Amino acid sequence: MIPEDLRYTAEHEWVAGDGVAGPVRIGITHFAQDALGDIVYVQLPDEGAAVEAGQAIGEVESTKSVSEIYAPLSGTVVARNDKLGDTPEEINADPYGSGWLVEIAPSDPAAVAALLTAAAYRELTES
Amino acid sequence: MTDVTAPAATHLRRSPLHDRHAALGAKFAPFGGWDMPLEYAGGGVIKEHTAVREAVGVFDVSHLGKARVTGPGAAAFVNACLSNDLDRIGGGQAQYTLCCDDATGGVVDDVIAYRFTDEHVFLIPNAANTAEVVRRLKAAAPPSVIVTNEHEEYAILAVQGPRSAAVLTALGLPAGHAYMSFVEADLAGPGVSVVVCRTGYTGEHGYELVVPAEHAVAVWDALFTAGEPEGIRACGLAARDTLRTEMGYPLHGQDLSPEISPVQARLGWAVGWGKPAFWGRAALVAEKAAGPRRALWGLEAVDRGIPRCHMTVYAGDTAVGEVTSGTFSPTRRTGIALALLDTAAGLGEGSTVEVDVRGRHSAMRVVKPPFVTPSVK
Repeated sequence: MIPEDLRYTAEHEWVAGDGVAGPVRIGITHFAQDALGDIVYVQLPDEGAAVEAGQAIGEVESTKSVSEIYAPLSGTVVARNDKLGDTPEEINADPYGSGWLVEIAPSDPAAVAALLTAAAYRELTES
Repeated sequence: MTDVTAPAATHLRRSPLHDRHAALGAKFAPFGGWDMPLEYAGGGVIKEHTAVREAVGVFDVSHLGKARVTGPGAAAFVNACLSNDLDRIGGGQAQYTLCCDDATGGVVDDVIAYRFTDEHVFLIPNAANTAEVVRRLKAAAPPSVIVTNEHEEYAILAVQGPRSAAVLTALGLPAGHAYMSFVEADLAGPGVSVVVCRTGYTGEHGYELVVPAEHAVAVWDALFTAGEPEGIRACGLAARDTLRTEMGYPLHGQDLSPEISPVQARLGWAVGWGKPAFWGRAALVAEKAAGPRRALWGLEAVDRGIPRCHMTVYAGDTAVGEVTSGTFSPTRRTGIALALLDTAAGLGEGSTVEVDVRGRHSAMRVVKPPFVTPSVK
């Protein structure tokens, strides 16, 4: 449940893409959606918003709790998954696919390589 | 993402069904000092909630307290302590009642009382309050009346939902008795004596089975075998909370507490006002006459906000109350809450208020619960 080709953060988010060829896509991990339980509401930043690494940019709320979404790197939001407004449960069903959250054009593509590898994230969730 | 890992559970008591829950991939959480299932793998709050509304679900509520009051005058003694009028019911019936503080009238606990006979009453307090309720009853009991804490001697299984009667019938257990009544019966296969009560905390037709702890696993297994054709599902306490919130049923520790009186919580129907004595009578009669300073209302979100416990309620710029229970309603697909609102604010059914949802003001309509029509009968 931790795809090898993605990068990760300690806040249980994934990042797809190298940031050089185009924007990176961001979501929450299987571990995170499982811990949250049934997701019923998602609040995402507007397209065009400038975000800083570590900044809270939205919320994912389940029947029982709410968690903030943090920007894994600095840049500009270029797309957001508006379908989640009506079907937030996609995050539970397919956290690495149709349950993606936003796409960010990183201000420094090198920041992607500094994120956790799948192996490092696996270690984090198993500890 | 933050706060996705729960703190390690230590020194918590375990249900006799703990291994069954673990085998079903349950996530556990502490409830009143007990390590109980929150939700199950392959389920989740919404699936489990929906199973109870549309078919049948089984909850292990063995963390609930059990106390027995016996001896000559036992029922009369209980009736002189707890709030509701126990003489409104006869043998074989159960009643929702309150243990109030004698000085303040605040709610020490809410309790289901099973009246077996005039000399035998069985009580189901909340897990966290059982020792305190037992302590207060013991301290007040005359020598002829014996109060015993039997917390760990029984398991309680709540079988809830429109198909619950079919499951009990398939097991050969009685299912046709009236709401809030109970029957003692033997479960043929395992040869277990169980008390089958037509009660619950979900708003659906349902039963609560009081089972000797050593037979809990046998009864649990029998329920799942008999219930398979009905689509029976194990349901965790997270779904129990969304189900009860949709009904506007109060939860002690949130909507009821020693600081919240039954008058404020609109539980006057569970108070025997005509009785000569019960704990808190003087304080509650005075509060009822003067009118409570705050009252429990329902709130229904107008937008996408989900109210949560302890959030502040505003009318304009003025803080007028606090959310005591709040969640996403799986049935209504919207945020719902119970909230204590100041009487002085002059709010009522149809008023619009705002709840501070983590810094954003979310519009909510004031309503009278339930949020979903009950079908308990």
